[in-house]
Parts: sequence; C-alpha cells; structure tokens
Amino acid sequence: MPIELTLNGESIALDIDPRTPLLDVLRDRHGLTGAKAVCREGFCGACTVHIDGQAVPSCLRPIGLLQGCNVVTVEGLTAPGTLNRVQQAFIDHDVVQCGMCFPGMVMTLTTFLDGTPNPNRDEVKSALVGNICRCTGYERIIDAVLSIRSEGVA
Amino acid sequence: MNRPTDPRSVVMNLPRRDALDKLTGRTRYTSDLGVGVLHAAIVRSTVASARILRMDFAPALAIKGVRAIAQASDAPGLFGIGIADHPLLNGTRIRFKGEPLAAIAADTLEIARAAAAAVIVETEPLPAVMTMAEALSPDAPTLHPDWKSYELLRDGGIRGGNVAWEARVIRGDTDAAFARPDVTIVEDCFQVGRQNQLPFEPRCAVASFEDGRYHIHTSTQVPWTVRAVTAKALGVSASRVRVTVPAVGGGFGLKFDCTIEPIAAVLAQKTGRTVSLVHSREEENLTCLCRENAELRIRSAVTAAGEIVGREATVLMDCGAYGGEQVFLTTMTAHTLGGNYKLGSVRLNSRAVYTNTPPNGAFRACNGVYNTFFLERHTDNIARAIGMHPLELRRRAVLGDGDIGATGQVFQGDVLRPMLDRMAVLIDRTKDHRDKADGRLYGRATTVGTWFIFVGPSSATVNLNADGSATLVTSGVEIGSGTMVQALPQIVAATLGLSPDEVIVKSADTDAAGRDLGVGGGRATVSIGAASKMAAERVRDQILDIAAEMLQAQPEDLILTKGRVEIAGRPGTGMAITTAIARAEALFGPVSGNGNFTAPGVNALPGCAAGHFIEAIDIPVFAVHDCEVAVDPDTGHVEVLSYKVVQDVGLALNPRAIHSQIQGGVVQGLGYALHERVTVGPDGALEQPGFEQYLVPLAGDVVPVEIDLYEGAPSIGPLGTKGAGEVPILNVGAAVACAVSRAVGRDVSELPLTPPTVLALIQGRTGRMDHPQISAIWQDNLLARAT
Ligand code: FES
Ligand code: FES
Repeated sequence: MPIELTLNGESIALDIDPRTPLLDVLRDRHGLTGAKAVCREGFCGACTVHIDGQAVPSCLRPIGLLQGCNVVTVEGLTAPGTLNRVQQAFIDHDVVQCGMCFPGMVMTLTTFLDGTPNPNRDEVKSALVGNICRCTGYERIIDAVLSIRSEGVA
Repeated sequence: MNRPTDPRSVVMNLPRRDALDKLTGRTRYTSDLGVGVLHAAIVRSTVASARILRMDFAPALAIKGVRAIAQASDAPGLFGIGIADHPLLNGTRIRFKGEPLAAIAADTLEIARAAAAAVIVETEPLPAVMTMAEALSPDAPTLHPDWKSYELLRDGGIRGGNVAWEARVIRGDTDAAFARPDVTIVEDCFQVGRQNQLPFEPRCAVASFEDGRYHIHTSTQVPWTVRAVTAKALGVSASRVRVTVPAVGGGFGLKFDCTIEPIAAVLAQKTGRTVSLVHSREEENLTCLCRENAELRIRSAVTAAGEIVGREATVLMDCGAYGGEQVFLTTMTAHTLGGNYKLGSVRLNSRAVYTNTPPNGAFRACNGVYNTFFLERHTDNIARAIGMHPLELRRRAVLGDGDIGATGQVFQGDVLRPMLDRMAVLIDRTKDHRDKADGRLYGRATTVGTWFIFVGPSSATVNLNADGSATLVTSGVEIGSGTMVQALPQIVAATLGLSPDEVIVKSADTDAAGRDLGVGGGRATVSIGAASKMAAERVRDQILDIAAEMLQAQPEDLILTKGRVEIAGRPGTGMAITTAIARAEALFGPVSGNGNFTAPGVNALPGCAAGHFIEAIDIPVFAVHDCEVAVDPDTGHVEVLSYKVVQDVGLALNPRAIHSQIQGGVVQGLGYALHERVTVGPDGALEQPGFEQYLVPLAGDVVPVEIDLYEGAPSIGPLGTKGAGEVPILNVGAAVACAVSRAVGRDVSELPLTPPTVLALIQGRTGRMDHPQISAIWQDNLLARAT
C-alpha cells in the first residue's frame, strides 16, 4: 500500500520500502536538498524538518510511519522569494558561515518562537540542544533570535 | 599612475550575499549534486599493517549494477607535500586501517557499497607501530622501507627511517646559555591528542570525463592542489584536469589537501559517466586528516629578570602513515614554539614521525594551537620558578620592534606589548566573574600567541561590464569565512567606485582563473585580495584615462565613485561610468585587468634553519587571549566563565564578519581544550566514528567572546589587512590550560581537559609528565644528516 502524505502542501504517494528515512526521500526522490545529511544519527539537527508542526530530524524518521502526516521542509517553509522572521534576522545579523546547519536551525527556531514568543538567552540555548553548528560558535545566532523577541515586544 | 585606495571606502559591515540561499536551503553544495549519476564506494583495508597478497574483484563485478573498478594500477603516481610517499589506492603494502585499496562505481550507493564489501583482499600481516614512541624505538619496523627512493618535492629535509621529515633551528650557543651561573633552568614535557575538523559537509567529489579531460567538481579549499595531485596520481598532464568548486560546507583545513577527488576522476574516465563519491560520516571521521597528536620536551634558561637566554625543544608530530601536511608543518614550530618571546639562543627540532595510523592534516592554525599551549604553560612554569608574575614575565619577554625571532628574522613594530595593554583595558572594563564560580575553584589566565599569514601566489582578473558591473575571476572558494562574498567584493568595489553588490564573484574554476595556493592559512583576503586589488586598479586606470580624454581633464584629478567618473571634490561632475565604458569599448574593446601576487620573502639569518619550507614569516599575526574558568573539585568539570580576545587584524575590512570568525574559532578551540579528542585504538583505528563519540561544543557550552580588534600593525596585505579567520583558535588551548592550572594549583601538561583528567590532577593522581622517547640531551634527538 503506498504511503500517502503531504509534502510542502502537495499530496504525494510513495511506493517504497517503509524503512527508508524521510531524509533520503526528500533528497533522492524529490530533489529537496535543503535538509542536510550530516550525521544521520539524530545528533546534529541539520536534517530538521517540520512534521505536523513539530521540528524533528528527518534522518531517523522511517517514511512508513508518516502515513497522513504533513511534512514541511525549508523549501516549503515560506512562499518562494520570501523569508520568515528567523531567516530575516539571520541575514540582518550576518550570522551565516558555511551554511550547512542553517536550514535545520531555521526549522527548529521557527517552531520554537511560535511556542515561546519571548524567550530569554538560556531558553534559546536550550532550544538549540539538538542543532549543532561547527562554524559560528552560536552566540550570534542567539543574538539574532533575541532581536526578534525584542522587536515582538516593542 | 599610483592612486591609493582610501581604506575608509572599503571598510564596512557588508552583509553576505550567499546568506539568502543558505537560509532557504537552496545552496547546492557538492554533496547535494549526486542526483542522476553513478555512485562510488571505497574498498578500505581492515588492518593497519600488512602486505597485500591478492585482490579478487570477481565477486564485486558479478553484482548487477556495478559499472567500474578503480585500483592501484589506475593511479600509479605517488604524491605528497615535500615527499611523494602517498599512493591514491594501495595495492601492495597497507599502512593504516581504513586505507583506500580500490573503489567501485555502481548505479546506486547501496550497490557500490555491497560490491566494495564483496571484494576479497588477501593479506599477510606485518608488524605495526601505533605510537611515535614505538616508531622511534631502535628496533621499530620501517613503514616506508623505500623512503630513500621517494621523489623529493622540496629540498633540504632531513629524513630517515620512520622520521618523515625533520626541521631544525640552531641560533646562538645554547650550551653556553644553560651553563651560565645566573640562570634558572626549567624543563617540561607536554602532549596533545588529535582533533577532528568535522566540517558539516564531508569530503566529496563529483567527477566527469569531458572531451578527454577530467572535470572534478569538489568540496575543497585548494582547487589547484586537487588539479596537481590528480595529475600526479593518475600520471596525466595537469592541463587535462579541470577543478570547479561550489559553496563549501566547511573546511577548517581538512580540505586543504587532495584526498578522494582523483578516485572519482578515475571512475568517471572508466565509465564515461558522472560519478559521485561522498564520504559517509563514519568514513569521514575514521579517515579524518586531524590536527595531529604531538609530544614535546622543552627547557629554558632564564635570568631572574625574566630574560630567556637559552631555549631547547624537540617536538614529535604524528603524521600517520604518510607525510602529508605534517612535513610542511614541521616548519611552523620555529615560528610558534619559537615565537612570542625574545630568545638569546635557541635550538628547536621538529620531527614528523610515521605511524601505522590514519594520516593527519591541517586544522585551523595547525600545530600553532598546541605549540602555543606548550609554550604558554611552559612560560607560566618559568614565571613560577623565578618568582615573577606570569603577566609581568610576558610583558618583559614578548617580541617587539627590531627584536629577532627564532630563525633570526627581524620583527617590525611593537605589537604584542600594546596588545597586552589593550587586554588589560578590556579586562578592566568588565568585572571579573569570580562570583559565578560559586564555591568552585577559580582561575584566570592571559596568554599570547604568534601565527602567520600563509601568503604565496594568487591571481585575479577583473572584467568591467558594459552595464557598469564588474566580474572578479579568481581561484578562491567560499568555505564559510566570507572572503569571497564580503572582503573581495568590498576591495574591488571600493577601487572602482561601485557598490559591493555590483561586483560579481566567479566561483573557482581552474580553467578560468590563474594558479592559487588556495583558501586557508588566513591567506585569501591577503593574497587573493592583493591580486584582486591590482586587477581592479588596472581597470580603474584605463577608465580614468578614457574619461580624462572625454572630459578634457587630467586622470589624476578624476575619481570613481557611486558608479560615476567625477572630478575629485566636485560631486555630480563628469559622467556615468557606463559612458566611459561605452567609449572604451568603441575604441579598443571591453575593459579588463589582471593582477597577481606572491610572497615577497622575508629574510632569516643565514644558516639558522634547516629543512624549513618557510624560514621567516612574511606576515606575523599576534593574538592575546584571556579566560576565566571555574573548576568543580568533585567532578573535574571545567566551566568557561568568560573569554576575551585582542586580535591583530591589520585593517578590519569587515569588523562584524571578523567578530563572527573570532566567536566561531574560539568555540572550536574550547572544544579542543575541553572535550574534543580523537583516540587511536590498539588496532590502529580511530575510535570516534560519529557525533555520539566525538563531542563538539553545543550552544549550551559556549560564552559570548568579548573582542577588541587591534589595528595598525605592519602588514603587506592589501590596505594593510591580515587574514582574520584562522588565528582566533590559536591560543584557546593555552588560555584554558593556564587558567585551569592556576585554578587547581597543578601543572596541566595535556589537552583536552576532560573531567576525569582534571579530577586526576586535582586529586594529585597525575605524575609529572615525561617522554622517554625524547632525549633530554637535545642533539641526541637529531637524525644523522642525510648525504
Ligand atoms: S543528519 Fe539528522 S540529525 Fe544529523
Ligand atoms: S554555519 Fe557551518 S555548520 Fe553552521
């Protein structure tokens, strides 16, 4: 029986091995390479996508468990040519370096801010526990996220 | 015409042009390109040392979907840095576990991997050496019995047996210094483990064979090295290799060497198809070209006034099974361990040693990071021995204007001492964080460090387009440091009076741009920047000449600004630059200019240095770091309470981007100081295959680094710049180690400072470190000079 789910707003049906990780389906079958395969073990967060509104690593999600789910990747997060406030803050604060971790960072922090609109520094750090960045040393990412909060408050 | 470019027109916090695509997941890295191509897998050795008796590929070829096999005979040439000792695919003698023996291209990755596993490799075990102590013992088996017959790519190295390369410095009479009655002699041993760069994008390459030439699209910092090594390994002319590089998902020096690219090239040639070869995370980690493990013995003769009259040291650097970067890096001991301080006399011996372990490589500031740790901890021990405050000793002993370095080069300008003053101001400005220690042991240390900018050849072309934009063509690559998307367009734009977004920067293509040493060693802004500036100036001069004629003015009176040619001091005069370009095109065709750059060469004292690739450094870079720590006496856990950096940047072209590099580099250094360690198991394999075993800093582990950029130190870089991305990691290990040492009141002699290591220190269970493999008599560690 094919697995049916919604991917970036479109219904798709997949007739494949149900153990195939979602990450491989995205990258190999749909050309959606925004989610990165960095550790494939659930540690780094570079493969993070939204499944039913939750930010989760896609490398450990067998596609067979996603029947009827709503999957959104970084490519489907915003309308083409537009940015959400997390992406905009990262540009404004010039925090990107090699960039490999950022699609995952964006996905994690977008849902985090939806649930915690006025976080403090420690809360942002805790939210990033599953998202590793090898380049930036994190602090400026956190500054950028906090700038969203203060704008929200103002 | 020689009109200076006003630095103020270049300096700005220019945002990155690549951020939008990176944030929306649209950037296509090499590892994103494997769609619709063949996939390759590598057959690797499962033992560390053995003779290969037979390889049987029949079981692999029998698998449906297998398209080609690459083996040793396809790549007969040996390559390396300094010595050609490294085969691409080994068909005769295995020297480390995980060594590539063959590679297979197949329709899918699964098939390729299954086929690689099906290859039968019959071997006869050979004795192995896993440590440098074993490798240097008198009866040790020799890893490279044919070492004498290897091609030397660089003259002057002293070599022999398991010593791949030895670089020596001898200046002055240390024997006399140590015999002086008025000196205190301090002797120490130190050691460090390996550190994995762990860039998020692993090493990977996509190769095709087009019109009889190899085209390799790869994630590298050194396109021209990949071109040269591929040619050498395959035994073809370098002109038959084209290397192109998209965005690189992190490098940190790991990608400063050519590794798997030629394998993909062989398979592409054999299949006629495009072949993608991407390391799995496990392969990547288990064959990582780490910052090497190293061991040191050092002793110094110091007067009561803090004058270092004699210093002797021997460093052992583990190069693994092949010489690689370590052969070159033996050079950097002179400028790092031999750096920072005035030395009355000095003898240094830096040895790259073969072991049956995976080869090591370059990692951000390379051996400078541990040599600075060694040197700064030793300096603290000296201060204690002569009863002087460690900061006072540093103030007195650091190199200043006119002082001579280890190899006799004369340093220009007082830099370290005023930087120490600036650090004192920075420390005064913020309160100390002793209260945050909250009952734990508190320590603080300020350390100094010396590194260099790796200059050497770069070239650039600037094409001025009819629409008034400019295209910059270089062999530079964007590895995340921002050089290609910030510093270079800033320099070209300022020279041509454009805005940086009107400067198109072509990604590296060895068919389009001239030779370049690559992006690393802090060299991109300096070397590629200087070439780019020259190219832009040649374009500017042509345009000004044309415009002068049209305006009936003197070219010296004209400036380029905001897309216009104007008479200086009279805004709104003149014409749009496009008008002058149109005139130029009508007269002689499109406008372009070339620029080039190479190391000017600074002199060492003749006869001081032997076996060095760089006897004196063209652009020294200095750093002063300060760190506060709290150590939990019950668990040995170290918390960094604050971190401060004063960094010598020459001119800060983009202060905000430099701050980001410093934050990122310091955090990588904190990982090195506290928990990142690659270990070698009894079978010679690296023991950290993934993120679970190899711990990198997480968001919760880090602190915001307080930064002061020190400008104005002498530099031959364009507009007085120095590279700023490499050096931030330099003295992090040193600062943390000195702070922890002071907190616990014990000598820290090794990194990383994991909780068990620190707990053993606190509880006095750590004996005094000694390295029997390094003789206390300096000259006993020397090879007989090869003839
Ligand atoms: S690739 Fe999925 S968490 Fe790292
Ligand atoms: S920017 Fe490179 S991993 Fe985060």
